[in-house]
Amino acid sequence: MPLQNRSSRTRQRTVLLVVIMVLIVTIVAVLAAVLLANGMKETSMELLQWKGRGTTKNLQEVILGRCYNYITTVNPELRDKDCQKIWEKMQKAFIYKNPCNITIEDYQPLLDLASHPIPCNKSLFWSKTNDLVHRYTKTNHNFLTLEDTLLGYMADGVSWCGNPSSPGINYESCPKWSECESNPSSVYWKMASKMFAEEACGVVQVMLNGSIEAGAFRSNSIFGSVEILNLDPDKVSTVQIWLMQNIGGPPRPVQLLQCASDPDHADCRLCTNSVQ
Amino acid sequence: MMKSFFLSLLVGLLFSKDYVKPTEIDGKKKWKGEGTTSNLESIVIGRCYEYIRIVNPSVGEKNCTEIWEAFKKAFINKDPCNILPSDYELFINLSLHTIPPNKSLFWENNHLLVTSYSDRTRRYMPLCDTLIGSFGDFLNWCGQANDTGFNYDSCPNTEECENNAVESFWKIASITYAKQSSGVIYIMLNGSAIGGAYPVKGFFADYEVPNFQKDRISRIEIWVMDDIGGPDLDSCGRGSVQILEERLKTMGYDITCIDNYKSVLLLKCLDYLNHSDCSIVSSAPSTQRGLVSPARGGSWSRLIYMIFVAFKRSVLANFST
Repeated sequence: MPLQNRSSRTRQRTVLLVVIMVLIVTIVAVLAAVLLANGMKETSMELLQWKGRGTTKNLQEVILGRCYNYITTVNPELRDKDCQKIWEKMQKAFIYKNPCNITIEDYQPLLDLASHPIPCNKSLFWSKTNDLVHRYTKTNHNFLTLEDTLLGYMADGVSWCGNPSSPGINYESCPKWSECESNPSSVYWKMASKMFAEEACGVVQVMLNGSIEAGAFRSNSIFGSVEILNLDPDKVSTVQIWLMQNIGGPPRPVQLLQCASDPDHADCRLCTNSVQ
Repeated sequence: MMKSFFLSLLVGLLFSKDYVKPTEIDGKKKWKGEGTTSNLESIVIGRCYEYIRIVNPSVGEKNCTEIWEAFKKAFINKDPCNILPSDYELFINLSLHTIPPNKSLFWENNHLLVTSYSDRTRRYMPLCDTLIGSFGDFLNWCGQANDTGFNYDSCPNTEECENNAVESFWKIASITYAKQSSGVIYIMLNGSAIGGAYPVKGFFADYEVPNFQKDRISRIEIWVMDDIGGPDLDSCGRGSVQILEERLKTMGYDITCIDNYKSVLLLKCLDYLNHSDCSIVSSAPSTQRGLVSPARGGSWSRLIYMIFVAFKRSVLANFST
């Protein structure tokens, strides 16, 4: 008799234990599912994370200020351009969009408002010589690079990208070219470069860096893949190439700029009466 | 006769009043100087943010709208001939930031050269490359009494009245800039300027030199730059430069003076490549690669004509080293 009682009690206990176990497992599973769902919801509300630097703070003020500065003091022929509209078109191209999905068409309204003609024989293209070429054109006003046009002037040194969720702009990070090619910055410069090449006429200059190991001319650079293809053979008569070396190579007029930073280098001696 | 005398006197007075007081056009006074730069607010606020976000972020967080309001307060709704440097005090306090030692560059008669050479704080930080300076550089502004707006038609120039908005701005900006400068001080003068490289009456002489902080300055270096192909009217130890050197020595400073400082001269030479003052010494002869014409027809062959322009040494010579 007692044996039977003990076995039935043991069975009851086992059943109870199993039920409790099942209950615990179910609760844990439900909790996990809820937490996971919440977690996913939070991620979709968050900013996307990228490896490049985020949108420049006060982007609107900087771009607007540069636009007005350009049409008022740099190139007053463009004084009738509407900078407010230009900014709005630029913003519309990337705000609230996934920054890996930008196309040249997104920037077409901006291009229509901000493009302007460029005087002949002044266009200077560059590849891998950014710093040098801009120091050159800043001091010598015979040449214009893309960054001397309105589109280039506004965006030079500035970064920007959107984000699908509010506030629509990502100030923390933006995709690098290595993460995705169709990011707002890269597509902007592609669009601007295309315009710059299409507007070029007469004698066109190119400054290449002859001191890079990978070679002065790369067909997949913006110059090689966009600008050179958009030069209009009916408008452009000659292409002059300046192959720049680091100091220690052939002296060139632009090498004077390099010498300005290193005047005591052996290649920078001047033949003048008025040297100290 | 007395009648005609009084009549002519009256006419004379009327005309002289007209000469002293500018004629009014549409209720706005017509001054001799250029009016306020259009879109001034957008340009200035844009420059302010550009400075603190891109040019010199070490300046830290600044409220550009607040600074703009303080700037405006100095001259808006006031007689444009009665603006004093002290009116800009709040503006100065809000936009002040430190200037790194050995970076100060003072100048006279070579604004564009200084801007090019300093390269937006990369080499030096002249007044125009500070936050305060960027508010006013190449811009113009003035207000009017009993009106909260800018005068876009005209502004008084220095001849009409010295205490105008722009003049007073640069006075206080110069004073402030000089007070904050430390380490080695650099001064760039124009040796071809008519009237002398060192104007004895000017912003530099009247507002900057008197405000040098003796205990924070190690020494002073003067560069006297002549225009390429221009006259050598003043140079170290001569003319007005000598006056400046004496003045600074009397104040107790250690002075160096350099004629046509090479680094700046090389930059000037960019626009005068073929000038005899600008030929770079080189050991190898110059060569030119001939025209390369590929076997492609039509307009493309014109495009693909590539002219390698070697100015002194050949590309071949470079390969052989």
